[in-house]
Amino acid sequence: MSEPAVAIEGVSKRFGRTLALDNVGFEVRPNELFALLGPNGAGKTTLGHILCTILKPDSGTARINGIDLLRHPLAARQSLGVVFQEPSLDDRLTLYENLNFHGLIYGVPAAERRERIAKMLELVELTDWRERLVRTLSAGMKRRLEIARAFVHDARILFLDEPTVGLDAQSRDRLWGYVRQLRQERELTVIVTTHYTEEVEDADRVCIIDHGRILVNDAPAALKLAHGQELLRVVPTEEATAVDIMSAYSDRAIRKDAEIILKSGGEAFTESFLARYGSHLRRFVVEAPSLESVLLSLTGRELRDQAAGARERTHAFGKRGGEHTR
Amino acid sequence: MSMIATDAPARTRAIMPQLGGLYAIWLREVKRAARDRGQLIGGVSRPLLWVLIMGIGLNPYFRGEIYGEVRFVVPYTYLQFIFPAVIVLNIMYTSVQSAVSTIWDREFGFLREILVSPLSRTTILLGKVLGGATVALFHGCLVLVLARFADVTLTPAGLLSGLLWMFLLAFGLTSLGVVIANRVRSFEGFGVFSNAVILPLYFTSSSIFPLDPSLTSAQSKVVYPEWLVTLVEINPLTYAVDALRGAFIGFHQFDPRLGPIVLAVMAIVFFLIALRDFSKT
Repeated sequence: MSEPAVAIEGVSKRFGRTLALDNVGFEVRPNELFALLGPNGAGKTTLGHILCTILKPDSGTARINGIDLLRHPLAARQSLGVVFQEPSLDDRLTLYENLNFHGLIYGVPAAERRERIAKMLELVELTDWRERLVRTLSAGMKRRLEIARAFVHDARILFLDEPTVGLDAQSRDRLWGYVRQLRQERELTVIVTTHYTEEVEDADRVCIIDHGRILVNDAPAALKLAHGQELLRVVPTEEATAVDIMSAYSDRAIRKDAEIILKSGGEAFTESFLARYGSHLRRFVVEAPSLESVLLSLTGRELRDQAAGARERTHAFGKRGGEHTR
Repeated sequence: MSMIATDAPARTRAIMPQLGGLYAIWLREVKRAARDRGQLIGGVSRPLLWVLIMGIGLNPYFRGEIYGEVRFVVPYTYLQFIFPAVIVLNIMYTSVQSAVSTIWDREFGFLREILVSPLSRTTILLGKVLGGATVALFHGCLVLVLARFADVTLTPAGLLSGLLWMFLLAFGLTSLGVVIANRVRSFEGFGVFSNAVILPLYFTSSSIFPLDPSLTSAQSKVVYPEWLVTLVEINPLTYAVDALRGAFIGFHQFDPRLGPIVLAVMAIVFFLIALRDFSKT
């Protein structure tokens, strides 16, 4: 078997009293789409920072294309393309200047640089904006530009840290479209951290991490089989039925307004449920096991983002373009 | 053994990208400064105010007698005297401003783009400081345009050494700015920097008033309060101003060798401190 694109072994990282990563280890095979899934604060970002060498683990080893990240960080970075959770573009340079800057700092020769910049701008449909300042772009366009940028130095491993946070549905689809297209055209290993489970349904492997530990690491289908849960979503026609269902299945039902969500117990369960209440339901849906249900049953936590903290407020000051916020 | 043999050519190959990266970071600094109108307006208005208004305004009072007795033996007009100091002021503002931009690079993520690249920390910092120093040197040169209004004659030799000292000063101050920026966690506007760093250093650098060169340190303390003389003497910028006076108007208040030495030491020490801080991030 060929060498893994990324190999992480026994990595631990402690911040003060919190153990952010606890003996984490996994391998990503070449050309795989590998998803790191977990609630906020699970350790995804810490792991990401270790992968792109801006954070050193307390113990353990990490390799990219066989190159030790701790001993040769500069060499390892050469094959890695990173798209951070927060934009990392220079607002006061044009699109072209941002990409050219990237090419220069990765040592891409001038001719190749020009060619790749043109090609990548074409791919992410930003060619017309080439000479505009980046600050005139929307959030979605910035994200697309960052994807393009990662390939100016011909990255073979793309690390996407929460790439779709804050983007509208259309921008998200587009972004994944580009990634799919790039994976068809070239050898490309993609590692993505996210808490949008629906985005990684077609990943080759999903690694669920929580409290700094890996809970499971397998193909989505296998995960659903092992940990997924079929759900019944029903809306009764009258309140009396709802109360009746809730008391009959108190151990496996939760109520959200008019809707009742039941953990299914297989076909026999569904049949007996329908025989009893079928004529009193306005809506009845059998929901196949999803990654979301896998994640919920493994971590028992909601995944959505929390409110903005103090740091975001400082950023808002800068974004307003206050005094000398260059 | 084989490890060492394969490592050596790899290292030579690695130098070229570092140079390209250095150029990219330098170019970015220069481009951003060229596009920043506010900074340019400051760079032009500051020398105009200090040289044309303050300089010309105070010119008649400079060589007056005190109690019927000529106490100072500065053989220059006030305009000539203050001219080199205004160059220092302009360089100081611009250097610190470009260093402050590292705070925004850090907060807005652009720093990460550079940190995950194959550039070494030394290259990144050197590019940043060289870029800031280039812009500051340019702003220093904006003052030179006013030379003829200040009755300062620029000789080729004076200009050459003057530019060298200006560059060293800009390099040292930009490094100092980066050191400060690294320690600043919450940013509340550039005013803090200008009030807490730039102006105190400027006013205590013998920029706007002379210490009589014919007097010993003990004697000047009779004319000025002791604390002020001490402040002036321990302020490294005093010697930067002195070096520039030597280059542009041929006047020294201190040993002429002191200026260049202090400038070089400042540039090296501040850069090394900045590098030490930066390597930790």
